[in-house]
Amino acid sequence: MDQYRRIQTGKTGDVHLVVFKDKKILDDTVLDEIKKEITTYMGKAAGPDMLLDFANVEFMSSAMLGLLGQLHRKITAGQGRLKMCNIRPEIFQVFKLTNLDKLFSIHKDAPTALATFT
Amino acid sequence: MPRQRSPPSRKSGTPVGNESPGAQAAGVDVLIAEDSRIQAKILQKRLIDAGHAVRWGENGADALAMARERRPDIIISDIEMPVMTGYEFCKAVKTDPSLQTVPFILMSTLSDPIDIIRGLDAGADNYVTKPYDPEYLLGRMQSLLQSPIGDATEAATLEVALAGQTFRVQAGRQQVLNLLVSTFENAVAKNQELIAANEDLSVARDRLQKTNAELSTLNEEITRRNAQMVRDLEAAAKVQRSLLPADDVSLPAAEVAWRYVPCHSLAGDFLNVFPLDEEHAGLFVVDVSGHGVPSSLMAVTVGRFLTPKVSDQSLLVRQAADGRIVIASPADVATQLNRLFQADEFSGLYFTMLYGVLHMPTGKLDYVSGGHPALLRAPAVGAVEFHGAEGFPIGFVPDVEYQQKTLMLSPGDRIYLYSDGVTEAMDKNQEQLGEQALAECIASSRPQPLEQTVAGLLETVEQWCQPAGPLDDVSILGIEWKP
Repeated sequence: MDQYRRIQTGKTGDVHLVVFKDKKILDDTVLDEIKKEITTYMGKAAGPDMLLDFANVEFMSSAMLGLLGQLHRKITAGQGRLKMCNIRPEIFQVFKLTNLDKLFSIHKDAPTALATFT
Repeated sequence: MPRQRSPPSRKSGTPVGNESPGAQAAGVDVLIAEDSRIQAKILQKRLIDAGHAVRWGENGADALAMARERRPDIIISDIEMPVMTGYEFCKAVKTDPSLQTVPFILMSTLSDPIDIIRGLDAGADNYVTKPYDPEYLLGRMQSLLQSPIGDATEAATLEVALAGQTFRVQAGRQQVLNLLVSTFENAVAKNQELIAANEDLSVARDRLQKTNAELSTLNEEITRRNAQMVRDLEAAAKVQRSLLPADDVSLPAAEVAWRYVPCHSLAGDFLNVFPLDEEHAGLFVVDVSGHGVPSSLMAVTVGRFLTPKVSDQSLLVRQAADGRIVIASPADVATQLNRLFQADEFSGLYFTMLYGVLHMPTGKLDYVSGGHPALLRAPAVGAVEFHGAEGFPIGFVPDVEYQQKTLMLSPGDRIYLYSDGVTEAMDKNQEQLGEQALAECIASSRPQPLEQTVAGLLETVEQWCQPAGPLDDVSILGIEWKP
C-alpha cells in the first residue's frame, strides 16, 4: 500500500477509504498536498466509490470545501459516489454555513457510511 | 608558478664524502629510539623498505643498551621519552668512546631555539623536524653517513647567548655545521610550506571575493525583484480597492457604514454598495476561498461582473431596448455567476456571496445567498435576528437555480452583511467568535450611530483574535434604512 504524508488509504469492499491524517487543515500548503495525494491515489485506484474519514480533523478552513467540491464533481462524473464521515460538530458548521451539508452525503461514522454504499 | 611541497634535502648542501651525490647508503644498521609504537612501526617499515636493517628501543635506555650490544651505523631518536630522553641518550652515545662517531639524528619539533642548543649540547649530528617527510629523513641519513663524524677530541667548548642567557655547549665543528645546515634546511622547508599556504590562502581569497561579488549581484537581483513584486502587489491591491465602495457613496434613503480589513496585502474578500437606479441600491459581500494572489485575482474578475455601470459585463444592470435600466434579480445574478465561475476553471477556488437589492422607497430587500453567512437584522425596535437564504457557494454545483428571499425593513432598521472572517475569527485557543457573540455585539450597540456599530464590531473581532490578529479577511457592511 502506498504511503502518503497527509492521507491514509484503504479499501473496504469496493469502496476506497481515505482518512485525513492532519488535525488541522488550515494552510494552503497542507491543502495542496492533500489535493496532490488524493489525485495520485485516484489515478491508481480502480472503482469510483470513495469515503472520506474526518476523524482526525479538528480544524478545517473553508478552502478545503473547494477541494471537496472538485472531488465530488470528479467522482460523480465517473458514476461514483462520494461520502464523508466522522465529522465533528465544529467542522460540520463549516458545511452547514455554506449549505454544503445538503450537497454532500455526510454520515456519523465509517460503518454507517459504508452500509449506505450497497 | 609550480609549488614545491617537499622539503629540499640533498640539493641545499654539498655532500661531503667519497661517494657520488645521490647514491644510496644501502644496507646500514639503523637503531631507532621511539616511545610511540605506531610511530616506530611506520619509521621501521620505511627504513626496511629502503633496504636497511632496523632495531628499535622503546626509550633512550633500551636503545643505549642495544647500541652497546652491537654498534649501529646510525641512530635516529625521538626526544620526549620515558626513562631516558633523547638528549640524555644522545649525550650517553657521544660520551661513549666506542659509539661517539655513530651519526645521531634527533627528531625534534624545533619549536624553540633552545632545542638547537640542547641538541648541540647533547652532541646530536642532525635534526629532523616532526612531523617528518620520510624522503627527507632518508636524505639526511645518507648525507650523514657520507660525512665522517669527528671524534670528541675535536670538540671545543662554545658559548652561545640566547634569550639573555649564556649556554656553554661542547660541540665539534662538523657537528655544528651539520646542525646549522639542518636548521637552515628546516627553515627553508618551513618557509616554502608557508609560501605554499600563502598561495592557497590567496587563491581562496580570490575565490571568496568572486563568490562575494556573485552573492552581491544575486542580492541586488533579489532586491530588485522584490521591489518589483512589492510594486506589483501594491498595484494589485489598488485594483482590488477599486472593488470597494466609493468614498462618497451615498444612497437617497439609507445610511452606509463599512469596514474591510484584508489579512494579507491581497484579499479574497470584497464588498460594495451603490445605487443601481434612482430607487434601488445593490449591496453585497463576496468571499473567495483562500487568500493571496489567486483568490484576489478571482475577486477582481468576479468584481467586474458586479458593477452598477451598464456594460456587456455587468450582471446587475442592463439597458432595455427602450433605454430603460433593467435591474437583474438577486437570484438571476447568483445563477449567472454560478454558470460563469465553475470551480474547475479556477483550481478549486469558489466563492460565497450575499447579494441584495434594496428598494429604497419601500424598504423591500430582495437577497440571495451563495453559501454565505446569514445577514443580521437589527430592527429599530426588537431583538436582532439572522436571515439566511439557502444556496450553494458559487461555482460549486453546475446549473443550480438560486432562490432569493425578501425582507421588509421598517424605518430605522439596520442590516449587516459580513464575511466568515467575523464569525469564524479565532482566539488563541482556536475558539471561534460565533454568531451569538456577533448578535450580542450588534444588539448592545444598537443605540449608537450605524458607523460606530460597524467600527465596534470590527474592534470586537480584532480583540477576539489577540495577539495574533485575524487570520482571514474581515468584511463588514452595515445599512440603515431611513426613508
